[in-house]
Amino acid sequence: MTKSRTLRIALALATAAVLAGCSASATPVPTKKVYTFKDMTVGFIQTGSESGWRAANTSSFNETAKSDNITLKFTDSQNKIENQITAFNTYIADPAVNVIVLAAVDVTGYNDVLTAAKTAGKVVVIEDRRIDAPSNLYYTYIGSDFDKEGNEGAAAMCTALGSGGKNVVEIGGDQGASAAIDRAKGFREGDTACGINILDSQYAAAWDPTVGKSIMEAYLKKYTGKINGVFAHNDELAIAAIQAIDASGLKAGKDVQVVGFDATADGFKYLISGEMSADIECNPLLAPQVFQAALDGLNGVTGQPTWVPSQEGQFFASQGADALKAILATRKY
Amino acid sequence: MRNSFARIWGQLTESMLFLPTAVLLIILIFDFFFIPGFFSNLRLQDGHLYGSLIDILVHGSPTMILAMGMTLVIATGGVDLSVGAVIAISSSVAAIMINPTIVGMNLTDPRLFINNPQYTWMPLWLVFVVPLIIATLCGLWNGMLVSYWRIQPMVATLVLMIAGRGIAQLITNAIQIIIFNDTFAFVGNGYILFPFALYVAVAVFIGAWLLTWRTSIGLFVQSVGINYRSSFYSGINERRVKLFAYSFCGFCAGIAGLIIASNIRTSDANQIGMYTELDAILSVVIGGTLLGAGGRFSLMGSAIGALVLQATLTSMLSFGVPASAITAVKAVVVVAVILLYAEQTQSFLRGIGKVSVRQEAAR
Repeated sequence: MTKSRTLRIALALATAAVLAGCSASATPVPTKKVYTFKDMTVGFIQTGSESGWRAANTSSFNETAKSDNITLKFTDSQNKIENQITAFNTYIADPAVNVIVLAAVDVTGYNDVLTAAKTAGKVVVIEDRRIDAPSNLYYTYIGSDFDKEGNEGAAAMCTALGSGGKNVVEIGGDQGASAAIDRAKGFREGDTACGINILDSQYAAAWDPTVGKSIMEAYLKKYTGKINGVFAHNDELAIAAIQAIDASGLKAGKDVQVVGFDATADGFKYLISGEMSADIECNPLLAPQVFQAALDGLNGVTGQPTWVPSQEGQFFASQGADALKAILATRKY
Repeated sequence: MRNSFARIWGQLTESMLFLPTAVLLIILIFDFFFIPGFFSNLRLQDGHLYGSLIDILVHGSPTMILAMGMTLVIATGGVDLSVGAVIAISSSVAAIMINPTIVGMNLTDPRLFINNPQYTWMPLWLVFVVPLIIATLCGLWNGMLVSYWRIQPMVATLVLMIAGRGIAQLITNAIQIIIFNDTFAFVGNGYILFPFALYVAVAVFIGAWLLTWRTSIGLFVQSVGINYRSSFYSGINERRVKLFAYSFCGFCAGIAGLIIASNIRTSDANQIGMYTELDAILSVVIGGTLLGAGGRFSLMGSAIGALVLQATLTSMLSFGVPASAITAVKAVVVVAVILLYAEQTQSFLRGIGKVSVRQEAAR
């Protein structure tokens, strides 16, 4: 008796709903759920916290999630791909998580988990680091054009070297990271403009500045008096190189031109003192773009480009200390 | 006179310092022949020495300091895996005391860091003392676990090895902190003819040597390492000896942390001191102190062992081996050294002396 009454009420309600739906618009049932930021639970797999850039990137996600009421679950994978795979599987198994954001440690190695995430119906957005995986396995990639940054680095190096010698040594980031691979590639494409001669090139595993400094010390002895410029893949490595240059009795910014990447506040300090000649920006505040893309993904928006590059600038010591200090005051990282 | 070679050779090979010194010499001879300018690039630069050999001393100093503490711990029959994590803690504490803006602390003028190279939030002497106290407490904790709770040293120190890096990341919000203070940076970067870090290492060595051999602590450590039960029955407070050894090891790790952070002007809770526990243990092993057995130890041997490791690293970088492949080269050196210590090699070395005796006798 009660059962049939409940059924009748339910039926009536359903009919009403369908009728209401029909009268409001011509689209037939079932109506699709429209996701908002409130319904999003994001599993964010960060590389680690290896640099000031990374710190700004992480806090961008934390702050944006807070202001948009997005539930954010965070994994610091300590720059190890195996930790990222584990985190991926955890988020795939977690029914609350509907979006997974990945900042990849390595360029390859994610195909299996990406396939699993796709099967589980999770929206995957790759941020910051490019990966080599079929583009149908993830929704989109939002990050910097490291290749272009490398190109700009070469141009900045040319400007800094001026009419002097063109011998440059390179201190790369982690050998497996797209930021390091593509900056090196872009640098080599751009170096022909003024005939830069790359004397030597070494990679610092996990972007470790201790290794970076040792590499620079070895360069300074191997190529005594020959080095005109240092191409360092991030600000921390550039600062480590400057320490080594100072100890050798040379002056960074005068005898040796140092070009770095990221343009963090720490990097700015060395631009202002003139020890770093140029700093190519790499924008870490990617969270708003990433969350918007993820929302589009949940709502089934198609035709998303597979890569949305972020907006970035360049800064030079030649802009003068006062101008740089004014710029620094307006920056968030 | 006839047997003089045999006698000297015999004494040499009996000495604990023979093998580590020989290995160091072999590496330096390799450098002399295969790396142009490895020795000749030594010069006086702005009133201090500069060159590849000096690089070995600068970067070898923290490992030497670590090895001092590790030697005592290993001599008591234990091992301390947590020194890398303690390095991360001490450097993080120091960095946060110089620049707390990173954890959201608002300073009156954040740009002081850029304009004033002497700026520090806390007085500088506290920046040095507090991390050392914390590091010593970390060591004390390890010592408590090992001596009072009787937990196996490897397991007991593993706790802090894993937790310590997490603690360091909590302290700094897992953010790399660049250290702008010039006085702090002097510890790892400065020179008074020789690198300042080397003076610190020598001071720690002399301190450890005096502490162990001018008091009876050295004897106690050996005795506890050989057999802690019989030490106990002969009236040695075996627990306190261990507590001392682990605390001293923590203290050494604290100093090493300050030097490393100062050297690269960065405190990086993630990477700093990574795998240094293994370097410290290796230095001690290369120095001739037996791992896992306890007893006889040589502080000088461990110091030379640390230099062997750093010489390998610096040589390989100068030789042009990719930085990422250096750990593999290090492994080869380690295997070679372990083989040198094998009983067979040892008796072969001693045999060389005996053969010469026989030859001379036959003549």
